Amino acid sequence: MNDIEKIEVDALVVGSGIAGLQSALDLADQGYSVAIVEKNPSIGGKMISLSKVFPTLDCASCITTPRMASVSHHPRIQTLTYSTVDAIKREGKTFTAAVTRKPRYIGEKECISCKRCEEVCPVLLPDEYEQGMGAKKTISIPFTNAIPQFPVMHPEHCIRCGACAKACPKDCIEFLQEPAPVEIKAKAVILATGYETTPMTAKKQYGLGALPNVLSPMAAERLLAPHGPYGRVLRPSDGKVPGSIAYVQCAGSRDKSIGVPYCSRVCCMYAIKQAILLSGSLPIADITIYYMDIRAFGKGYEQFYNNARAMGINFVKAKVARVTEDAEHNPIVRIERQEGTSAPEEVKHDLVVLSQGLVPGCDGTAFGLGVQNNDFGFVQLSDEMVSSAVTAGAGVFAAGTVKGPRDIPDSVVDAGAAAMEAVSYMRKL
Amino acid sequence: MADAKKLAEQLKKLNELRGPVTQALRDRVAAQNKAQKAVLDALGSGPKTVPELAAASGLSHDKALWYVAALRKYGKVEDVPGKGDYPKYTLKGGAAK
Repeated sequence: MNDIEKIEVDALVVGSGIAGLQSALDLADQGYSVAIVEKNPSIGGKMISLSKVFPTLDCASCITTPRMASVSHHPRIQTLTYSTVDAIKREGKTFTAAVTRKPRYIGEKECISCKRCEEVCPVLLPDEYEQGMGAKKTISIPFTNAIPQFPVMHPEHCIRCGACAKACPKDCIEFLQEPAPVEIKAKAVILATGYETTPMTAKKQYGLGALPNVLSPMAAERLLAPHGPYGRVLRPSDGKVPGSIAYVQCAGSRDKSIGVPYCSRVCCMYAIKQAILLSGSLPIADITIYYMDIRAFGKGYEQFYNNARAMGINFVKAKVARVTEDAEHNPIVRIERQEGTSAPEEVKHDLVVLSQGLVPGCDGTAFGLGVQNNDFGFVQLSDEMVSSAVTAGAGVFAAGTVKGPRDIPDSVVDAGAAAMEAVSYMRKL
Repeated sequence: MADAKKLAEQLKKLNELRGPVTQALRDRVAAQNKAQKAVLDALGSGPKTVPELAAASGLSHDKALWYVAALRKYGKVEDVPGKGDYPKYTLKGGAAK
């Protein structure tokens, strides 16, 4: 272990979603050196897998990829992808992070991203980037616009046929690669570990994730993405173009029974956005949003909602009690209307999307740096009225949804705030 | 291209380190190969929808779609332009008879 890789920077950013990317860029552009650590094989976080963003309907990757490229080419930013932060210790005025680079089983210095290994690999796997709806190979580049464009091998699914190694023009397949430890020293830490959506299995009334045509919103994003798993909107059970699509709002938020009593702030708007995009892709489809109340609080959001109504999206104020399916896997939604007649009724759709809420992506207190969580597991700010980034741990700042649900514009703005606070802290050291 | 001897040594060492490839994985890959062949054979007789492919290949509807999506991604199958509830797929390059 004498040759452990050592990196010394001004700031360590944990997580490379839009908040982590923006924090890293804001620090580096002010002259500070940054190491950004990402657990996935590509930077870009959740945002890179979205189709478009609300309320402007800009293409999500058109906004994310330039930032991803800027980070990966920035002279003052070192990017460690497919790497985990195992521990961070505070030693005087510096933090020392123990990071592990997970093996991709390829030589990154040699790889030219030609994809020949992926083309010849004979083993298919469900592609988690496409929420399982598409396939990838045991050795594959994570997705089209991933940065870096290096393939990752999953040895537990490898039949060791050697086809990838035989096809590789640079002879850079390394079957025996091991995890590599890295030590990062930094003066400040920015936590930008983001969120996860409430699990599909959270609510037994909504099918526990076992109904093939009841989708997560991330799966719906992939269906809508131009380079999604099917290249068009189809339902996963049988490849049918859905004629009737429903959104179940508050399917993973504002629900004490699943431990998520808070509003996730983005579900109304992403459901409206997806409904608008669906009505563009499927002009004759009926699209219904079952909601408790629509929370359209940001700039241009109310107008966006009104536009959706004007376009013919059907907004039904009703609480969905249950989602089941018939023999053809058509989801059946049992509702109680809160306006007009209130008798329960069952409505059949071709496809249902559960508007899941946002829950913490990772435990901010795990590193034990004095950081505290709020009641819901998000990082607690030391004084929300004074700063949107300062945590109870000196030198540790929070950016984006690690602090709680927020949308992309808010995440970008407060990633800048986190960078500012980190600079202010470092200048006083 | 990898040196055949060096590759054989690496794979041998891998077997020693991790044990042999499990039968379950071998069976899974065999089933995948069979399913892909069944889909491609079915498309050999002309463009088909997912339910038609499922009927012809003996796969369930969702599996037939998953394999079509996989074969489409890796350049063996393409969409047939047109309308209707179920889009049709064909062999890439019009190889269907």
